[in-house]
Amino acid sequence: MSKIEVLSGDQFRLKFENVCFFHEGQDPILKNADFEFPTNQVCWVKSEEGEGKSTLLQLLAALELPRIGDYFINDHSVKEMTFEEFLPIRLKIGYSFDYGGLISNQTLKENLLLPLLYHKILPRKEAFQKVEGMIEKFDFTKFSNERPAHVPGRLRKLTCLLRAMIHDPQLLILDDPFVGLGNETSMKLIHYIQQLRQNGIAQSLFLSTYDEKLVSMLNPEILNIDGGQIYQTVKTTEKSVANL
Amino acid sequence: MIRVVHTLDNIGRTLVMQVIYTWKIFSMVYLSIRATILDQAQGLRTIVGVLSSQVYFTGFQALPLISILALATGGLLILQAMGNLSLLGGSQIIGPFLVALFVREVAPLLTALVVIARSGTAVASEIGNMRANREIDALESMGINPLSYIVFPRLMGGIISVVCLSFYFIFVGLIGGFFLTQFLHKMPMNFYFDSLLQAFAKDDVFVFLIKNTASGVIIFIISCFQGLSVKRSPHEVPQVTTQAVVKSILYVTIFNLTVSALFYLSRLKELGVL
Repeated sequence: MSKIEVLSGDQFRLKFENVCFFHEGQDPILKNADFEFPTNQVCWVKSEEGEGKSTLLQLLAALELPRIGDYFINDHSVKEMTFEEFLPIRLKIGYSFDYGGLISNQTLKENLLLPLLYHKILPRKEAFQKVEGMIEKFDFTKFSNERPAHVPGRLRKLTCLLRAMIHDPQLLILDDPFVGLGNETSMKLIHYIQQLRQNGIAQSLFLSTYDEKLVSMLNPEILNIDGGQIYQTVKTTEKSVANL
Repeated sequence: MIRVVHTLDNIGRTLVMQVIYTWKIFSMVYLSIRATILDQAQGLRTIVGVLSSQVYFTGFQALPLISILALATGGLLILQAMGNLSLLGGSQIIGPFLVALFVREVAPLLTALVVIARSGTAVASEIGNMRANREIDALESMGINPLSYIVFPRLMGGIISVVCLSFYFIFVGLIGGFFLTQFLHKMPMNFYFDSLLQAFAKDDVFVFLIKNTASGVIIFIISCFQGLSVKRSPHEVPQVTTQAVVKSILYVTIFNLTVSALFYLSRLKELGVL
């Protein structure tokens, strides 16, 4: 089976082998981390501030590569793949940054259309319909033809989040999605994600946030980063505690 | 003695770093072309869109400045040449003199300097800000290769702009400069244009194309490279912009000098002097 065929399936296996990562001149974030990530569920990445949540999410999205060790997606080393070889799987990943990321010389609508039109994921007319529907759903039609610099920060963040989901990714990675959104929009976003997941989209969702109340609505598994290692915290629900 | 060794060390280190830097920027030219060829999704429409806006900003918007500079330089050279050559009794060599000096040397270098000042800085700071604002990372996360989406159209637009601007510079400088100097120094029009046309040779077209095409590549690839070298913080943007200007001037000047030196060496060889 060719590399492209293996990578174009809908199921993901994400595995770190001996991964070390550090930013130049800084302490290591991951030290020989071996971990197979749980997929087809919501994972909440937790750690102390500065322990490397964003870095871990960027590694998962293959936007950063391990300095030492390897990251395997469906048994294929991400480090050994060229941009073009990785593209089929890239198009199944949606990633949203904790800040920034919108193309500044394009309007909010053009930003949302970019992945759909560039990769011809949908015909032009359908792409416009989908984007306009999304804009209406989140109620920012008034600002949709403005550039990011001319709109409130909440809408910049929201557009960035929606752009990560516009192409119906299987693996969705959201870095601090609720910061700056406000309660009402955060709730709308959670309902939207739940709706997507019910429709078989964004089956594997990784997110980092400090908002425990909001994230708990997605019933997540918890991944911790501590001392350069990744751990999965075993859930103890109230029900199981009561049974004890 | 120790001081000499340290000086040699420093020279060696600087040379090695320059060689590595040159290797990196030439690799980027190859990689951007490769990415564009392999990028199945990027249509001609996307490339032409960015390319045409690059030609507009770099080429079209620079026309007033280039016109003034060309008129002034052309006028001054014609004036100086006519004055001094008349004294020496060799005014008939005005054509070869202007072709050798203005067409082969001054036009490519001054055009490149104007483009570096106007557009090299703009491209380096634009891409640097895109990097700091995570736009480049966002493009990658959407499966859009920044080398084909950002670098290639700017490179191509830059080459087209520099070649066209340099041609315009020569045209305005030689023709406009002539009419400008008529107020101070009368010269028969037929005599001037005959002398110029006789002086032009096939080699001049070759030198013109190689110098200006290479200047376009050097300016825009260095500007893109410096812009992309920003890591996270916006405070790096002015630093990389300055580096883009300094390195572009250095590389363009060295390249122009090398081409001129090789050209005149080959001429001397043809004449049997070497």
